[in-house]
Amino acid sequence: MGLTRRQFMALFGGTAVSAVAFQACGIPEHEMLIQSPLEMPEDMVTGLDNWYATICGQCSSQEGIVVRVVEGRAKKVEGNPDYPVNHGKHSARCEAALQALYHPDRIAGPMVRYGERGEGKWDEIGWVDGITRLAAQLEALPSGRRGNVVVLTNPEDAHLGHVIGRFAEEFGAQRLTYETLESTNLRAALRYAFGDDFMPEFDIANSEMILSFGADFLNTWGSPVRYAKAYGEFRQGDRSRGKLVHVDSRLSLTAANADEWVYVEPGMEGLLARSIAAVLIEEGSAAPGAANSVTGGDPDGFLSKFSPDQVSSQLGHVTAQKIRDIAHDFASHQPGIAIGGGSAGAHTNGYSNLAAVYALNALAGSVGVEGGVMRNPAPFMARPASAERASFGRLRRLVDDMRAGRVDALLVRGVDPMYSLPESLGFREASYNVPLIVSFSEMLDDTANMADLVLPQNSPLEDWGSSVPDPGTGVSLVGFQQPVVRPYFEPRGLQLGTKNFGDVLMALAKSLDMDLGLEGETFKDVLQASARSIWESNRGSVGTTPASSFADFRAFWNAALMHGFWQDDSGAGGGGTSSLGPLPEHTEPSASGPSGAGTFDLVPFASSALGDGRGAHLPWLQAMTDTITTTAWQTWAEINLAVADEMDIKEGDVLRLSSGFGEILALAYPHPGVAPGAVCVPMGQGHAAYGRYAEGRGSNVLDALALATDVETGALAWAATRVQVRKTGDWVRLPKFENTKPDLAVDEHHDVIRLTS
Amino acid sequence: MQEHVQLDQRTINDELLNGVLGFRSWWMPALGISVLVFLAGAAAFGYMLNKGVGVTGLNRPVFWGFFMVNFVFWIGISHAGIMISAILRLNHAEWRRPVTRAAEVLTVFSLTAALMAAPLVHVGRPWRADLWVFPYDFARGVWINIRSPFIWDPSAVMTYLTASTLFVIIALLPDLAIIRDRTTGWVNKVYSVLCLGWRGTPRQWKLQAIAGILLSALVLPVFVSVHSIVSWDFAVQIGVEGWHSTIFAPYFIIGAIHSGVAAVATVMVLMIWGFKWQNYLGPDHLDAIGRLLIVVGVTWFFFFFLEWIFALYTLEAPDIALRELQVFQWPWSGLFILFLITAFFFPVGAWLFKSVRRNLWLMFITTVSVNVGMWLERFLIIVPGLMRRQHMVFDWGSYHPSMIEILMVSATFAWVVMGMILFSKVFPLIPLFDVKEAMVFRDETKIGRRTVPATIRE
Amino acid sequence: MANKWGMVVDIDRCIGCQACVIACQSENNVPINTEGLYNQRRAIQWMRVERYWDGEFPDVKARFIPIMCQHCADAPCEPVCPVFATYHNEEGMNVQVYNRCIGTRFCANNCPYHVRFFNFWEPEWPDSLKNQLNPDVTVRSRGIMEKCSFCVQRIRRATRGDREVEDGDRALNPACVNACPTDALTFGNLNDENSKARRMMDEELADDGRGYHLFDKLGTNPNVVYLKKVEEGAKEGAHA
Ligand SMILES: Nc1nc2c(c(=O)[nH]1)N[C@H]1C(S)=C(S)[C@@H](COP(=O)(O)OP(=O)(O)OC[C@H]3O[C@@H](n4cnc5c(=O)[nH]c(N)nc54)[C@H](O)[C@@H]3O)O[C@H]1N2
Ligand SMILES: Nc1nc2c(c(=O)[nH]1)N[C@H]1C(S)=C(S)[C@@H](COP(=O)(O)OP(=O)(O)OC[C@H]3O[C@@H](n4cnc5c(=O)[nH]c(N)nc54)[C@H](O)[C@@H]3O)O[C@H]1N2
Ligand code: SF4
Ligand code: SF4
Ligand code: SF4
Ligand code: SF4
Ligand code: SF4
Repeated sequence: MGLTRRQFMALFGGTAVSAVAFQACGIPEHEMLIQSPLEMPEDMVTGLDNWYATICGQCSSQEGIVVRVVEGRAKKVEGNPDYPVNHGKHSARCEAALQALYHPDRIAGPMVRYGERGEGKWDEIGWVDGITRLAAQLEALPSGRRGNVVVLTNPEDAHLGHVIGRFAEEFGAQRLTYETLESTNLRAALRYAFGDDFMPEFDIANSEMILSFGADFLNTWGSPVRYAKAYGEFRQGDRSRGKLVHVDSRLSLTAANADEWVYVEPGMEGLLARSIAAVLIEEGSAAPGAANSVTGGDPDGFLSKFSPDQVSSQLGHVTAQKIRDIAHDFASHQPGIAIGGGSAGAHTNGYSNLAAVYALNALAGSVGVEGGVMRNPAPFMARPASAERASFGRLRRLVDDMRAGRVDALLVRGVDPMYSLPESLGFREASYNVPLIVSFSEMLDDTANMADLVLPQNSPLEDWGSSVPDPGTGVSLVGFQQPVVRPYFEPRGLQLGTKNFGDVLMALAKSLDMDLGLEGETFKDVLQASARSIWESNRGSVGTTPASSFADFRAFWNAALMHGFWQDDSGAGGGGTSSLGPLPEHTEPSASGPSGAGTFDLVPFASSALGDGRGAHLPWLQAMTDTITTTAWQTWAEINLAVADEMDIKEGDVLRLSSGFGEILALAYPHPGVAPGAVCVPMGQGHAAYGRYAEGRGSNVLDALALATDVETGALAWAATRVQVRKTGDWVRLPKFENTKPDLAVDEHHDVIRLTS
Repeated sequence: MQEHVQLDQRTINDELLNGVLGFRSWWMPALGISVLVFLAGAAAFGYMLNKGVGVTGLNRPVFWGFFMVNFVFWIGISHAGIMISAILRLNHAEWRRPVTRAAEVLTVFSLTAALMAAPLVHVGRPWRADLWVFPYDFARGVWINIRSPFIWDPSAVMTYLTASTLFVIIALLPDLAIIRDRTTGWVNKVYSVLCLGWRGTPRQWKLQAIAGILLSALVLPVFVSVHSIVSWDFAVQIGVEGWHSTIFAPYFIIGAIHSGVAAVATVMVLMIWGFKWQNYLGPDHLDAIGRLLIVVGVTWFFFFFLEWIFALYTLEAPDIALRELQVFQWPWSGLFILFLITAFFFPVGAWLFKSVRRNLWLMFITTVSVNVGMWLERFLIIVPGLMRRQHMVFDWGSYHPSMIEILMVSATFAWVVMGMILFSKVFPLIPLFDVKEAMVFRDETKIGRRTVPATIRE
Repeated sequence: MANKWGMVVDIDRCIGCQACVIACQSENNVPINTEGLYNQRRAIQWMRVERYWDGEFPDVKARFIPIMCQHCADAPCEPVCPVFATYHNEEGMNVQVYNRCIGTRFCANNCPYHVRFFNFWEPEWPDSLKNQLNPDVTVRSRGIMEKCSFCVQRIRRATRGDREVEDGDRALNPACVNACPTDALTFGNLNDENSKARRMMDEELADDGRGYHLFDKLGTNPNVVYLKKVEEGAKEGAHA
């Protein structure tokens, strides 16, 4: 042995000492400091905070919020207690507006691409430079090709929409607005049932029964916070407990909360609604006038076509008795509301389905009555004609134009078409034929990533704006959005940082020597001028103070910003059924994609956290668990437990869902609440860019969709695809919150959730 | 039938000090390996300090895992010392004599291992635990919470550690004097100080004997309290229904004795092999400890059985769910069967045969098996208990130890081995004076025509 | 008389929307629950929504219940903490003093409701996101326990300088209560006989009411009362 005993001991001692020293170094210094022993810092709050009212720009329901600001930093979002849309309540999505503001990957200033498109090579430029470059390119277009400039935005109906509209009109550009989960069918059905296409007001709180078809209205559809607030009263308010029956091809959050969830295959909702109508008519519980017009004066024909027995055999899963029971319930629980939307309106017969659903309201006589469906007055600002929401069919034409080189410039704001249109539509390839793509996004989303020029806009919390909500609140309402903090990148100077989109358009117009006919130099001026005209009209009130009692405009303006809105309820409660026409013919839904063993109806759904994908860049929303599956951060596929057993599919198995038009990967989540014939996949993941929290995560279910459209309206039929489900053989741990072990979380003895009748 | 080997004092001194004054060939490699394993564990600990408890496999709801299992395990082993030294001494069990020292030293080292396993590495902020809970944090004027078993624990363990250390020292004094007399130079000086001026006067012998007996008697309550208190770490918890049982204290104590005595038997075999002490330790001793083990093992099994009955008799869903999990769900079911076989059926069954009890190899294997089983027992109490399949089915979850935990747990084993090995280099593992005393007390009686070995009582 | 805070949770209103969960995370500087944390089962949700299955398709039910610290009057988590890092204050709340916690995780084991969360790792935020952190709330380091505090910092702020607060004041209400769109959560002073929470408790804990304490047989005596979910034809729970 080369080592003597003594040496060995010395060595041993030395090693022990260094081990100890190493350990000591492992403790960060701050953790060694002695800290307050007795009280929590929470017990000793100091400092002042301010709450500023504004409008949340995180999703399309546009709620009024108040934001807590300490030392110039936004700290907390809560609902604006006075705001008529949400009465102080808010959703998780609003909360995350803070993270949009302080997102580590926000674009910090205008950028111009120098590498290939999508390569991610950018040069930062100044705002003057950016706007001049854009103006020069637009100006260079021969006047005949100005129509080849397309301004593609989210639906913006209020002042900003007006500015965009003015710009587009003045310049001669096309203006298109769209939403992934488009409301084309819904609006057509509303027009059929109520005579105009504004979302009506559902008086859920005072209703006895809600019969809902496909609309996940407690979670993602319409104005969920508003509906949820009313739902609380519906269940446990002063009236007797209301009854909720939900018809859907998936166990959505709304379905889970319903007293009864009635499963029908995608696209069959309208048939069921017709049969319920038939029972109402047959048994004389339908309003005679409505019955007559809905059936086109031929009740007998209608009844024979849609008798419960007939329909039950077509539906398969629903007995004739069940249909009658629902109809009887609906007849006896009046005022009641029939709501339709979501996947019910997203099949090839979506319009026809929804028309039948909304007709039920008229049949039951619940239109214009308390606890029923109230018509909203026309929004305060007329929606400019150019702001017409594009149906999917319209976007398809746009892609054709792009492919054919008939689009010279694409100005994109508030939408992410590279992400949110089905892959098979070919927007991405067609975009290579567009010489100029300009993005106004705050984040490098999939589209901005492929843009030539990025002129980043402010985050909503640092921006001016306004909201004329639709779904409305039954009254005329204008919400004011004010900056609650100074722009985060303001310290970078005037040339860098972010700007208001309206300001950018106005500056661009100026460079182009265009007169938009707007009052003032900035978007804030436009907003203020409009507010002034409201004040001058002496209509309505701010808070409880009538507009007429403000001595001067300053006082009015300050109060409006403080309360966050102005409203006029003089024209409230518009009721009465307009004359319905005959119900559109029922058309059979036709799904595209494979059939046979191992194939399923693909039921995509808006994720409660990420929505259609807009929220995917925000870590709180990524980390927010889906309540049904308790899963976060991933794209999962819900599949029936027994079916999964048969196919030997375990939780976390990577599944390949192929429709023949495209395919996606998703992690299996078998549970007992999925219909054997369906596989349900959330939207929202699968971004190619969009910041560190979204990029390269999960799959975009839209990529698997067939390009099916509604036979009448051309709307995207996103619930009309069938897929083959196969295991890839890979397994990935599903990030979820519930128990990890094989058995399901079953509260066998009702120890946790106690029930009563 | 015990056989008497009568040896003279010089031979006893030479043979029993062969490790201290001489050098055994296995000593260095064995020490080297245990030091390396210990250092690996220390490095793992350093890594954990740096990164946080996240490097373990612990999670919600399984907040305790390998470290706690190990804590209970080493406290269990530590019961060997008192069982052998105090109880058997008070009972005048003659065969205990050569075993007492090893048992007591094992106690001391396993207690330190236990202290390492729980309060030190287990907590989220060890640097604070060790400053704020022990000793009491005067500077901040904040009382420790004496209602917490985690305050009872260190108190009981520290008391036990103090008593056991005293035990070892008092019993060592005469032997230290012998070493002092046989060494020169600075080594001699060290032993001179350590033996506290032992001259072997009658008064010194008398005091030493009284101290030994007194300590034996005083330490008995500690014997009962230590593992009771350890069991209360678990039993007081209403949040974990599977633990919330009044039988835990006696059940844990008897389990501790089971594993502790088995560990002593293992050490005995190792001593015979390592130091060639067959003249002092032999089949007779193993036979005796084997018979003791049968009694202890069966009693333990009875309590184990009772604990199950107590649990099932409640018909409470959480208890039933836990038992179901332990017995029927893989991998717990496999571990459960392994535990039953290794902790009870295999060793106790084997000990029923005299040939087994008198066979070194078989005793080694069976006693090691007991401790494998008893380690698993603690694992099966702690981890499945914490998984808490009921009431909150939504929240229950599993646990897999991480490499870091495995390294640190191995390090505690290395620590005890290292301690024993180093001890054997400096002090005799068999008390010389005790062995000599036994030879003095020896006599033979005639029963009928046969001559039987016997012992004269003090 | 001192204030005593409590909450009523109406399961029949709760729709499982998770607004309360995120509101709590935002208010209380809860670390971002990364994918890894979920996979390690170490995600932190002071407020969580549990989902329980009942039956199989098509007769299947998924029921939800929001669960946060029950602020037990006889809190099992308290006696086991060796350093008094978790204790009861005069206002009936179970409070957690992060500075004192040494991370034994004893309290978490002994909480029957599994509402205690351990910081296995040092929490991390990108620098810019730190701007959002609530200055009234400690950012907890690794190695310590945390849980719902009934938003004590909001109570302190609202009652600062002996200010009188009205029942249901939004400045006083916890973040989850303000957020909850269905008003499933009601917070208030239980020592005030007229507070809404107190009145609901008195009414619903009476014989024919819907009120119950979670796992009441454990005797933890929570300050949170649940109101049963109403289902047609439901049999009363085993313990009802
Ligand atoms: N931008 C900006 N600049 C300012 C000010 C401002 O408001 N804004 N304020 C000005 C004013 S008023 C002041 S007083 C100065 C303060 O300026 P500094 O004195 O630089 O202030 P700190 O950063 O608070 O503390 C300095 C360092 O001391 C360390 N430290 C903490 N405790 C101890 C200790 O016990 N011993 C030792 N040796 N070090 C310790 C801390 O970790 C820290 O690294 O800043 C001035 N400059
Ligand atoms: N958490 C934390 N707290 C600290 C410290 C820390 O490091 N951390 N540092 C401590 C130290 S060292 C200091 S000096 C204090 C500073 O504490 P403060 O004195 O409170 O400091 P400031 O917030 O810088 O300034 C106070 C106010 O003075 C106003 N002010 C500016 N110029 C004028 C003027 O010309 N006239 C008048 N009337 N007002 C003016 C500012 O707008 C501001 O509102 O903070 C102490 N507190
Ligand atoms: S639901 Fe959408 S608009 Fe509404 S407040 Fe929340 S995030 Fe904002
Ligand atoms: S719920 Fe848990 S953490 Fe809260 S007081 Fe009760 S035992 Fe303690
Ligand atoms: S984890 Fe902290 S609060 Fe909990 S018992 Fe241990 S020291 Fe106390
Ligand atoms: S009371 Fe406060 S801390 Fe508790 S769950 Fe609600 S928001 Fe979170
Ligand atoms: S916010 Fe309200 S309704 Fe939504 S999950 Fe929480 S308690 Fe339930």
